Amino acid sequence: MSAPGTRQFDSTKPLPGLQIERRCFTVVDGDEMFGLPVQSVQTIFRIEGVTPVPLGPADVEGLVNLRGRIVTAVSLKRRLAKAPLDTARGTLAIGIEHDGENFALIVDDVGDVITCEESAEIARPPHIDPARARLTSAYYRLDGGILPILDMKAVFDFAERNRSTGSAHLNTAITRSDQ
Amino acid sequence: MDELLKDFLTETAEQIEAVGTQLVLLERDPSDAAMIASIFRLVHTIKGTCGFLGLNRLGQLAHAAETLIGRIRDGATPTPDAVTVILAAIDRIKAVLAELERTAQEPEGDDEDLVQALELQTAAVAVPARHPPATALETAPPEPANTEPSRPARTAEEPALQVRRPETIRVAVGALERIMLLVSELVLARNQLLELTRRQSDDTIKAPLQRLSGLTSDLQDAVMRARMQPVGRLFSSLPRLVRELASEVGKKIHLVTEGAETELDRQLIELIRDPLTHMIRNCAAHGIETPAERLAAGKPEAGTIRISASHEAGQITINVIDDGRGLDIPRIRQKAIAVGLAGDAEVARMSNDDICRFIFAPGFSTAGAVTSLSGRGVGMDVVRENIEAIGGSISLSSTLGQGTCFSIKIPLTLAIAPALIVQAGGHRFALPQVSVVEAVGLGPGAAHTLERVQGAKVLRLRHEVLPVADLCQLFGLADQANDWDAKLVVVMRVGALSFGILVSAVADVQEIVVKPLGASLAHLSVFSGHTILGDGSVVLILDPAGLAGSLGLQRTSDYNVTAPADLTAPALERTRLILFRAGSDPLKALPLSLVSRIESVASDRLTQSDGTLITMHQGRLMPVVPASPDVALTNNLHPILVVSVGGESMGLLVDEIVDIIEEPLEIQIAGGADDIVGTAEIRGEAVDVLDIMHFIRQARPHAELRGVARRFKILLVDDKLFFRDMLAPVLTSGGYVVTVCASAADALALLQRGIAFDAIVTDTDMPEMDGYRFAEAVHEQPRCGHLPIIALAAHPTAPVLAAARASGISAVAGKFDRRALLDAVRTCLSFKDLANTELEQRVLTEKAA
Repeated sequence: MSAPGTRQFDSTKPLPGLQIERRCFTVVDGDEMFGLPVQSVQTIFRIEGVTPVPLGPADVEGLVNLRGRIVTAVSLKRRLAKAPLDTARGTLAIGIEHDGENFALIVDDVGDVITCEESAEIARPPHIDPARARLTSAYYRLDGGILPILDMKAVFDFAERNRSTGSAHLNTAITRSDQ
Repeated sequence: MDELLKDFLTETAEQIEAVGTQLVLLERDPSDAAMIASIFRLVHTIKGTCGFLGLNRLGQLAHAAETLIGRIRDGATPTPDAVTVILAAIDRIKAVLAELERTAQEPEGDDEDLVQALELQTAAVAVPARHPPATALETAPPEPANTEPSRPARTAEEPALQVRRPETIRVAVGALERIMLLVSELVLARNQLLELTRRQSDDTIKAPLQRLSGLTSDLQDAVMRARMQPVGRLFSSLPRLVRELASEVGKKIHLVTEGAETELDRQLIELIRDPLTHMIRNCAAHGIETPAERLAAGKPEAGTIRISASHEAGQITINVIDDGRGLDIPRIRQKAIAVGLAGDAEVARMSNDDICRFIFAPGFSTAGAVTSLSGRGVGMDVVRENIEAIGGSISLSSTLGQGTCFSIKIPLTLAIAPALIVQAGGHRFALPQVSVVEAVGLGPGAAHTLERVQGAKVLRLRHEVLPVADLCQLFGLADQANDWDAKLVVVMRVGALSFGILVSAVADVQEIVVKPLGASLAHLSVFSGHTILGDGSVVLILDPAGLAGSLGLQRTSDYNVTAPADLTAPALERTRLILFRAGSDPLKALPLSLVSRIESVASDRLTQSDGTLITMHQGRLMPVVPASPDVALTNNLHPILVVSVGGESMGLLVDEIVDIIEEPLEIQIAGGADDIVGTAEIRGEAVDVLDIMHFIRQARPHAELRGVARRFKILLVDDKLFFRDMLAPVLTSGGYVVTVCASAADALALLQRGIAFDAIVTDTDMPEMDGYRFAEAVHEQPRCGHLPIIALAAHPTAPVLAAARASGISAVAGKFDRRALLDAVRTCLSFKDLANTELEQRVLTEKAA
């Protein structure tokens, strides 16, 4: 029940009349840069004391105690299926809450908050690896390069993935680490 | 809703419960004047308030009931008929109140029937003239004080009421839960602080910290106590239940309750309500004999059901004892053999208590007649499951002709649990202490030894041989000390199952606050949650039931109901299999139908390209995947199984082809790894049956994306883990991709998220939403209108088939009839052209992209 006279605004949508733009928090993984929707980033911290989860998904590094709260640490590198399983773990993490669960997304480095104008959005290049494309919601043309925006829903879709029988992330990780 | 009405509803709900109980007591002891007065008072208050709030229908009913009760209070004997009609009136009042609570309106309809019956009884019960009215107030019209909706007037005439209602305030359950949660966090913070200061010798901080620690414990205790309620709350509804049961089965039954003041967590009180009711039903229906039988046996005519609650070492014990005929052991033995729970020889070796435990097996009932009370084949197994689900246990003992005693043990609370912190492979895990029986050292000279049987570890403990789960092995952890001597086996008991867990050490015993796993990890059945230890580190909490499952033990496996041998059943279908060796693991197999050719390729013709092996096959490049990571690449010729994937081929590299055989393929253990469907016993040897889809995904990832190798997707819904685990491999081995759900609600949630399935296989008998209603709900979903649904029933009888047809279910299969299930699925899907649907979906997804 809302009091008369107040209006509810959806903070994720632009107010009418304003230039449509999107603020992104940039993160670096290897030589690639990604954008995260700024409203989904809660905190940035160094993780220590990770408790691994045996039998858990390969891209879940483990559980971390973040100020008395248990968060699930997910490696962006493994999520993108770039790293063989034994790569040393980074310690820089971004706190993100998704679907009631607290996650720590482990990245190599963090960058600035940048503003992406609607006019700079480009269509998804069609030949991007479908597994990768699935994790991305949009692409923006910047001066320095193209910035893919990570889709938080797809990145943290464990619940769905665990329910389905497939485990594509494992397969990719294994084939790539054969080398 | 009106505040007054809300207060009225909460208040009356409790009072009306009390009236029902007291009336039953009154029937037994009509001389208790104080009780009559309090019953009268309650109905009187309801009537008064109804007038005040303008609830006419309720008012009339309450008035009629009040008149009759008033007559009884004035000295009339409460006949059973009078009590029955008063109980009926109270039931009606309850129903009207429930409706009021939902809609804030009195429901339509009148209660003329009941009002008349009440008036009839009022006329029938005679009032002896010698009883003058007790006080003036009781016959007076409602006074302003009585119409106060939130509280019955506390006047000097009501000493009984005053004693019964000590000073209390209402607190929302949510508020208590929140306090509990905060205290849990406080306990954790305290533990962390203690851990930090343990290494310091600063005395200035030690004293206040000790005090903080003590206060925290006290606070925790106080909050736990606030959540506690006397178990009498649960007992209060029992006299009425027993009265009804007794009249229904035509027996005389006394109920005795003891230890009503024993307190336990309110959450648990609600959770044991159903199991307890069920057990009492059982006692009334099976335990207690008819009056004639009892007299013939030299017992008093009326049977007694005694329910007692007591505290025992951090647990609550509730006993349900009857003085009836006791369990009929020979009959249970016969039935157990008949339904295939055990063999003749096995049963002969069993003790009476062990045989009694068969009544906890699913679908086990020795009752000849099916009554509305019991004997429907559902019962004690559900009781056992419910009790075990809250970390409790149930046992029974019985003496023929003298009675039966069921004993339930449950923990005091679910929120904070003592746990063993165990170490394995350098990691720590928490193990709930309630399931731990003992820890057994394996050092030299120890009385018990760990042995290997065909690679599996077992512990010989006294006269038992227990399967042992090696945590390091199970979790793939590097094991520093490969020396069993230094290790421990923690012996666990879940229900009737015992097993061991091999760990390196027990590091600590701590009280842990159990927190559930997030969605990302909730699928790991071996963990039940996680917690933060005193030193701030996170540990996973092992789930004893899940661990038992990982050993292949099922909660119900010791009662494994196998259908009685059916001589007319068709023999299992035989499958042509290719057996081969790849890597060091057991023999592997693939259905031959999947293999189009077997080639021999020299190592030098295998080229590495982009991380994948490639070879030339029939003039085209073909990716080759090793069937196991440790297939040796030598210079010899390598056998390669060529598998066709919709026009493209891939090779599966193996070490050696062993044989091609024709055998019935029955997956006995569902695969844990991605690359196998499961393990089957072939010619007395365990063979891994490979999941070819896994290798196709590796070699030709796009083939699957394009859908050429797509398989039908089936959603399996069953509330019982046992059946999910049994049927999922059956469907998988039938070539389907199976997703399992434990409830109709979960399944609907999946469909709502747009996950597409080609067919649904659902149990019919599920709590909350049964299979029929689920089927209807599915067909109401967008895009699911024509989704074929196959129902599982214990016995596909005519009424089941009719109900299934009415709710749009395509076919019904028996739960234990694998062949019928696969046939039904195949028939339902036969009209679905895989290729066409695939094309359609592809076009749709491309459009969407």
